[in-house]
Amino acid sequence: MDLSQALATFFDESRDLLAEMERILLRAESGAPAGEEMNALFRCAHTIKGSAGMFGLDPVVRFTHEVETLLDRLRQGELVFSPALVGLLLESRDHMADLVAVATDGGGVDASVESALLERLRAAVGVPAATPAAASVPALVVAGAAEVEVEASGGGPIGNDCWHLSLRFEREVLQSGFDPLAMIHFLGSVGVVSHIETVVDALPDLAELDAELCYVGFEVALKSGASKAEIESVFEFVLDQSRITILPPHSRMEDFMALIEDSGEDKFRLGELLVACGSITENELARALAVQQAVTAPLRLGEVLVGQGAVQPAVVDAALARQKKVEERRSSEAKSMKIPADRLDALIDQVGELVIAGAATQLQARRANQRELQEAASNLLRLVEDVRDSALRLRMTPIGEVFGRFPRVVRDVARELGKDIELTISGADAELDKSMVEKIGDPLMHLVRNAIDHGIESPEQRTAAGKPARGTVSLNAYHESGSIVIEVADDGGGLNAARILQKAVDKGLVSAEANLSPADIHRLILEPGFSTAEQVTNLSGRGVGMDVVKSNVEALRGTLDIDSAPGRGTTMRICLPLTLAIIDGFQVGVGPATFIVPLDTVVECIELPDGAAGADYLNLRGEVLPFLRLRRVFAVAGDEPPRQNIVVVRFGGRKAGIAVDRLFGECQTVIKPLGRLFAGVSGISGSTILGSGEVALILDVAQLVHGAAAPAGAKVLAHTPAA
Amino acid sequence: MGMRIEEEGRSCRAIVDGDVTVATAAEIQAALSVAVREHDETEVDLAGVEEMDTAGLQIILAAKRCAGKTVRFVNHSAAVLRVLELANLGQQLGDPLLIRASDAAADGRT
Repeated sequence: MDLSQALATFFDESRDLLAEMERILLRAESGAPAGEEMNALFRCAHTIKGSAGMFGLDPVVRFTHEVETLLDRLRQGELVFSPALVGLLLESRDHMADLVAVATDGGGVDASVESALLERLRAAVGVPAATPAAASVPALVVAGAAEVEVEASGGGPIGNDCWHLSLRFEREVLQSGFDPLAMIHFLGSVGVVSHIETVVDALPDLAELDAELCYVGFEVALKSGASKAEIESVFEFVLDQSRITILPPHSRMEDFMALIEDSGEDKFRLGELLVACGSITENELARALAVQQAVTAPLRLGEVLVGQGAVQPAVVDAALARQKKVEERRSSEAKSMKIPADRLDALIDQVGELVIAGAATQLQARRANQRELQEAASNLLRLVEDVRDSALRLRMTPIGEVFGRFPRVVRDVARELGKDIELTISGADAELDKSMVEKIGDPLMHLVRNAIDHGIESPEQRTAAGKPARGTVSLNAYHESGSIVIEVADDGGGLNAARILQKAVDKGLVSAEANLSPADIHRLILEPGFSTAEQVTNLSGRGVGMDVVKSNVEALRGTLDIDSAPGRGTTMRICLPLTLAIIDGFQVGVGPATFIVPLDTVVECIELPDGAAGADYLNLRGEVLPFLRLRRVFAVAGDEPPRQNIVVVRFGGRKAGIAVDRLFGECQTVIKPLGRLFAGVSGISGSTILGSGEVALILDVAQLVHGAAAPAGAKVLAHTPAA
Repeated sequence: MGMRIEEEGRSCRAIVDGDVTVATAAEIQAALSVAVREHDETEVDLAGVEEMDTAGLQIILAAKRCAGKTVRFVNHSAAVLRVLELANLGQQLGDPLLIRASDAAADGRT
């Protein structure tokens, strides 16, 4: 009896449908949508209206109805898409989203917004044209569907130009939160109920009645110009379990007979109900029942009639195809399932513990020095690794989920600023951990807005610079050595290094004498309180933003890089680890301490050459490789052993070496966050528990590489505390 | 929400208040079936019904079919009338028991 669950499904679906509408409408800006897309657009609005009606969300129904009317006229080709119309539809879509949100979270919407939109929608629709197509759709005639009282004529036969609906609900329909009467009420939005018979034959006596089960059914004659799918959508949520038969107007007698036959109810009684609805006449019923009784063989009526040539085989085929389609839909529904995020998190936690326990087992096996035990333990560990990977994959979501909201943002912001901007998206199917997807949205939004606001010049400036008037902002994502790289690039004016430096000096962020490379100057815009925009717009340029972006990205153990060329544009590159929970690590030792280097950053291991004893650089096959000594970085006690090793790591396109005493090899690492006490310690990103029970620190390779690879002049910046 | 029974010898009067929906139906059904079993005539006053759904409708329909007993529904509230109209049960002439109920509602007779 949990209505909230069904409602939650509705809200989920509505969100998807609204997103779909937005996508189609945005595409419509560059060219009117073709048939299938237009239909999809209409279906979105229609489904939202239908579902909202079932839940009695009248405000949503009322407003969506007007949108649907406009879309229907577009679909019929009576109106054509214009930029103004697309704009209106987008605004209407937003209002629908607001209405749905209000239904979810409570609160209210601005009534003046709604009435203004309604006025514009109605103006756009204009006086309904007297074409038969428009006139026969009752949805157009019925204003404010939710308020319409269903008309029950109670009169005699009305001929069979009506749809006939035979409704037998599953017993538990009430407990699932649906009210058959509400659906019947809602039928008023797709047509006019011309007659209805309530079927009470299955109803037990009062004393035996289980009041929470549904026993009644309905036979309904519905006058409607809507399609079968539209009528069906009224019963969408109960379609699977209930027996809902919808016969179109002028259905053949055989279809009614099939209905009677399949019902499993008393056929004379049901026949009478059909007669009462005016769907068939008494004569037709008598004739059909007589024919059926004359058939001695236990053939199904449908087959008999086909044999007699009374029914076209095509009709039967069509029915079969329809049945098959329903089944296919069901099976595709079964292919994916929704799981509450906290259950998934709990699973990941448990897998983490399993990994640690597995490592401990392997260690014990090795100590026991029994071959069979070792073999069993390493088998076990391999399986645990597989389980870990599968568990982590459960949480992987395509980044496209985040990218999807940007076309609209770019359109709106560009319009507001009077710029002409095209957004290109690539790599939307690159996956990363769900928790990251959620957290990366805001920083990305900021970068995109910045790119539009500060990056892309006005059309005039662009033309003067010999560039196409239309600017391009591109979003790109790709995987690189165990991390995901997300780029926000624009082809605008690029960062003005001189102005940034000037501003930084003015604000006292750096001294005027500091000799900074262009890349370091670019990084200054990430400092708190920095903004170079000459004009403060309401979008960005208030001096907050880039530093927030930077700290958000760093909170995800990621890095933010800036690549900019004057006159050619700027690329902001976010590099994030794929997951925050478990990684493959490379275990190294310095003195008594053990450290973990994330394995995906490790390129190779070499022995520290004798000649490099006192230096910070070594010659790696002709390449200069800066390196740092972990012993010194973390002030580990003890003397350097005669032979040291270098772990060559790469991060964000830069390579560096880390000198350690010993190499232990690969191990699975469950990342445990560091306490707040260690928040300020740079070079460490977390801790983990080893199989032996010891704690090992996980190295923050990004910071270390940055520290090792940064040229001497920029050390000031490299050590700026990260907020 | 709920039901109050007033005894009058072999007959009784049941006064229903509030919602008669799937949330309250079980309770009302239990109370009403006891009342009907123990009396020859039961008059159900629906004036206070604020909301009714399919579950509520089923109770009315089932109560009308109790063999050997007379169950009358009177003072139908607007919510009840709406449901009866929607299900086309208010005017359905084939069911004499229901006619009395709907007549009573329409004419104020009991």
